[in-house]
Amino acid sequence: MRDLLDGLAGSERRSAAAMAAASTAIAESARIARRCRLKAAVFGPQAGLDQGPSVCDDANAWPLESVPRAVTGEVLDVSPHILVIGKGEVEERFALTADANAWRGAKTDPAAVKVGDHAVVRRHDSGREVADRIWANIGRVTGTIVRRDGDTLVVDRGDGSGNQVLVIAERASGRIQVRFPRLEPGYLIDIIGVRHDDFLEGLVPATSQPAYRADHVPGPPLVNGHVPGSFSGAAIWHEQGDEPDGLIGTAYPAVDPQNAATTRAGRQQAASGCVSLPYLSIGSLLRVRNDCTGLSRVLPVIGSAASARLFCDRSVICGPSPRGRIADLTLASFVELGGELDEGNFNVTIEIEG
Amino acid sequence: MLAAIREVQIPLLAAMLLGACLAKLGRVLRARSVDVALGPTALFPLRLQRPVAVAMCAAELTLGIALIVTAGRFGTGAAATAVRGVTAVLFVTAVGALIELRQHRPDVGCGCFGDLSSTPVSLRTIARSALLTLAAAGTIGVAPLRLPPPGGALALRLALLAAEIALIAALSPEIGQALVRLGYSEPCELRVLPAERTLSALRSSRQWRRHASVVTGHHPVDVWRELCWRYLVYPGSYGGREVEVVFAVYLRSRRPAVRAAVVDAATGEVLPPLHVLPPPAADRPVRPLPPRAVGPWVARPAAGARPATLPPPQPLSPPAPDAPQFLPAATAADESAAEGSLYHLLALSSPVPRERNNREEAPARYIA
Repeated sequence: MRDLLDGLAGSERRSAAAMAAASTAIAESARIARRCRLKAAVFGPQAGLDQGPSVCDDANAWPLESVPRAVTGEVLDVSPHILVIGKGEVEERFALTADANAWRGAKTDPAAVKVGDHAVVRRHDSGREVADRIWANIGRVTGTIVRRDGDTLVVDRGDGSGNQVLVIAERASGRIQVRFPRLEPGYLIDIIGVRHDDFLEGLVPATSQPAYRADHVPGPPLVNGHVPGSFSGAAIWHEQGDEPDGLIGTAYPAVDPQNAATTRAGRQQAASGCVSLPYLSIGSLLRVRNDCTGLSRVLPVIGSAASARLFCDRSVICGPSPRGRIADLTLASFVELGGELDEGNFNVTIEIEG
Repeated sequence: MLAAIREVQIPLLAAMLLGACLAKLGRVLRARSVDVALGPTALFPLRLQRPVAVAMCAAELTLGIALIVTAGRFGTGAAATAVRGVTAVLFVTAVGALIELRQHRPDVGCGCFGDLSSTPVSLRTIARSALLTLAAAGTIGVAPLRLPPPGGALALRLALLAAEIALIAALSPEIGQALVRLGYSEPCELRVLPAERTLSALRSSRQWRRHASVVTGHHPVDVWRELCWRYLVYPGSYGGREVEVVFAVYLRSRRPAVRAAVVDAATGEVLPPLHVLPPPAADRPVRPLPPRAVGPWVARPAAGARPATLPPPQPLSPPAPDAPQFLPAATAADESAAEGSLYHLLALSSPVPRERNNREEAPARYIA
């Protein structure tokens, strides 16, 4: 009985702590949301920032203005013609046409998706109830290898969120070893695969392994004068982790370490990375354009892309991009911009808004 | 003439080899890893890359020293010929490796001079190696070097040396990188400046003093940075309204520009900034009045007229409901006025043009 009472008391305490944390998070979100307008207030029309408030409006209103192309949730039902996705109390039904295709460890038929899978669905351009692409249980591990035990690797994502376990699937082992020859602690890894409860089953190498160790990232080229207003490079995506389903935004490799101390990302000391990017903060707005599809959106910075700045690779989806990963998008943002999750990246250009 | 050309190659080749090795070593020491000095060894299998990188650097160091040692009276016979022959072979190998690298790894720099050689291999880089191959081949059979007597012979050799250095510089993409580094100043967008320094600069700024009577909190409720500016938000109160006072501080270590705005906390309405200073504190000496009013908003007295009499300073009081409380736009203060200067005394009367910092104001700085 005492255990039960203790358990109830503990449960109440945890509940109170969770409510306090939620309330703090809401207050912080509101504070960050005001930054765009406060900045516009300081500079005002005389500095040529009279479009500032409209940019703030665009960024805040985007998910509401149009039907989002990306839908994330749990598969509640699937048949050869219908897919039902549940997100909390909401259900969404999609028609499956002959053109629709799916990924579940490999490209497959949409009917191969199972009830209970966590799926990301991209709507077809022609209609809001038609599925174009479905990715089931897709996951990704990007970071520094901390430990290896046979085919099992422990990987540090670098953002203070703890280590990830990656198990390299036997059928993909050869392919991964070709692209990642140094599966040793201290070296970098980036693998896409099927997400299980406690680990990722690694199937697809998302890039080629850099020759350097994670603690010897080459410095960026020097920039004289002011840095340019737009940058090109590679955009990648990251698993949603604690993020809510359908979150729109991007992690950015150069979040100011001085005032990011209150966020989880900020606890990771910012390094220069291999691209000279100007310092920004959580809530700063970026116009992100997929150079392969031409789609562009204004996205807020939602965190520090700790692992992205360790990679100096290029995207080659539509020709080689300049070196460096400059945007680490949420699942929904990556899909909205026309990216294919199983390819892992696309060529991107970002502009700093306002 | 030909003999003089052949003679100057030996010190030049020695300097190039030693410089290349030292540049690679410097890069390795900075990064604490041999892996960063790989360069053309990217063509080798993984297990051979590190040993080949070490062997290259060791060969450059050994040959550079050996060229100097065998240049003088030891430079007769087989030893000098062998050293110079091996140097020529090294540069021939380098030409071949660079051509291969350009074809198979067009994204990799040659790594010849460490960090400076990060640009992809170009025809200029290959031509430089070919020139050094010819120079090394030309040194075979050169008699031991002696310092020529002052006069025409010495001048000729110095002129030849300078001309060849200029030619090699023209063929070296590293020169551009080196010049950038010499004149490098870190852009403000990349500058790391602690938030504490920003706070301290704000507290000593005119904008802070101007808004001190409105600010009610000791600590900012929000601090963030974008590009060259750090923003600090303080809670405030004015005429019974809850407001937020936003300061933008330019990220410069000394006397940064500071801008401010007042925003209604409830409605988000941007209120024009205050135009009056709070009354001086009792424990501070009262600033003497300027001898003459200057500034765009005070009419200058006509020539011959009596100077205008300034009204006595009025204590700060809440504005009347129908009176304009604020100026119609955000203000900027430039903290560049020297202590004791007229503009420093006339704090409110120094309309120094604000530095143009953002893209809209100074488009020439933002070249895509």
